[in-house]
Amino acid sequence: MADRYPGYDVMAKRWTESWNETTRQVIDRRLAVAHEPRFFSAAEWRTLNAVCDRIMPQPRDRPPVPLPAYVDQKMADGLLDGYRYAELPPQGEAWQRGLAALDAAALEAHGAVFHALAAEQQDGLLRSMQEGSLTGAAWRGMPCKLFFEHRVIPDITHAYYAHPVAWNEIGFGGPASPRGYVRMGLDRRDPWEAVEAAPDEQVDARRKTDHVG
Amino acid sequence: MTRDSTALTASAPAFLGLAALALTLRAAGGTRAVQPRLPVRAQAIDPGAAVRAARRMNRAAGLIAASVLADSAVEHYRGSFHNKAMVAPLVTAALSLAVSAHGNADKRPVAHWVRDSVYVTAALTGLVGTCFHIFNIGKKPGGFSWQNLFYSAPIGAPAALVLSGAVGFLAERVRDTTPGMAPTIAGVSAGRAVAAATSLGLLGTVAEAGLLHFRGAYHDPFMYLPVTIPPVTAALIGNAAIGRAHHRRPLTRFGLRLTALLGFAGAGFHALGVARNMGGWRNWRQNLLNGPPIPAPPSFTGLALAGLAALGLMEDHPDG
Repeated sequence: MADRYPGYDVMAKRWTESWNETTRQVIDRRLAVAHEPRFFSAAEWRTLNAVCDRIMPQPRDRPPVPLPAYVDQKMADGLLDGYRYAELPPQGEAWQRGLAALDAAALEAHGAVFHALAAEQQDGLLRSMQEGSLTGAAWRGMPCKLFFEHRVIPDITHAYYAHPVAWNEIGFGGPASPRGYVRMGLDRRDPWEAVEAAPDEQVDARRKTDHVG
Repeated sequence: MTRDSTALTASAPAFLGLAALALTLRAAGGTRAVQPRLPVRAQAIDPGAAVRAARRMNRAAGLIAASVLADSAVEHYRGSFHNKAMVAPLVTAALSLAVSAHGNADKRPVAHWVRDSVYVTAALTGLVGTCFHIFNIGKKPGGFSWQNLFYSAPIGAPAALVLSGAVGFLAERVRDTTPGMAPTIAGVSAGRAVAAATSLGLLGTVAEAGLLHFRGAYHDPFMYLPVTIPPVTAALIGNAAIGRAHHRRPLTRFGLRLTALLGFAGAGFHALGVARNMGGWRNWRQNLLNGPPIPAPPSFTGLALAGLAALGLMEDHPDG
């Protein structure tokens, strides 16, 4: 697939007027996230890794965005959304219960824990969870469909798009602080924003993107 | 590189302010010389008076053109020159500025066809631009709502180009006076005509500043100045346009000078406003566009200069 924003690297903004010391510190902290769990147990961590790999598969030609680490950080630091479905327990407990229930479902269906299954088997279980058809004592009354829609998907995808690698893919400029946006209309671009390119415009876009700061 | 261009951008308004100051002082110096002749009746006509007034008006037209040139350059760059016609005010304002400089240097008592055609073109461009901006607001969802009036291309900005062209065109008519005759425009005393034009122009500019300063919630008390001083001045010079001849008007002259001062003080305040945006002048690529428009307020100075020229004309050539 042709690069949508050829030559664009949001990290090149680091020392321009687009970012200041606070911005740099925030991004640095985000990139320095520990790749070891602080909240989840070893078994939960393995299952979470496998779930992240299926929900947000990543290209092999670059280091992956550490999705499980961000989910773990959110639980360990208690970074809450500000709202919660009444049928779901608090976020950390929901994840622990959901991951354990997923392993239980995997053992029941395929005789092995979730992370040991083939990708197709994992997808089948996740699809059942999405459809709400996973039941079992391990869920302890938590609706698996709600858990999938309001815990699994948001926590993993939000983690992905909080990372500069994802910003490069979608041409996002990162934190709009201190420099924000001036040209608000549709299909308008500020000179410091990434240049989007059709497949036949790659060279031109790459040249223009050199001026993005 | 960035720092160089920042310094360059910062010095542009300073230069504009200095130029305006110089023009104001020269205008002030000029009027002092004619005051002792006030009680004298119209028969003693100074043949150089019309040209002097015309050159003052050239300077006024040039200053308004400079304001339009810088303002439209910044704002239309912000609009990415989305429509090709968006270069039109840059070209016509630059030409108007150039012929105004030419007129200021020219001491001959005859109109010049190049100046005349440029001024007319500038005024027409401003008129078309005003219609275009109005049309653009109308076709937005919500039509002529406050939201669209606040955030669309401003109606008053192209109107300033009309004023530059109009003041310049009137300057040519004043200059074209037969030596020994009192200058008239369409049968009316030229001083009264220019005074009336100035008064209307000031009121229009006040409306524009009022709308945008209201949008800015008058967050700084100085934002009230352009909606208080110029309207009073507009009333004074408007009164002069229809009032008695042979009448000293020190208050009107003071109001015009204060308005002229306000014009470039406004540019200074707007520069401060840019500094107060996040990232300040270091983030000039955003804040120059996002912050208050630095080149806009000197339009007041240009109009005040036209008003001072009108006052001079009325004192040199009292009718009746």
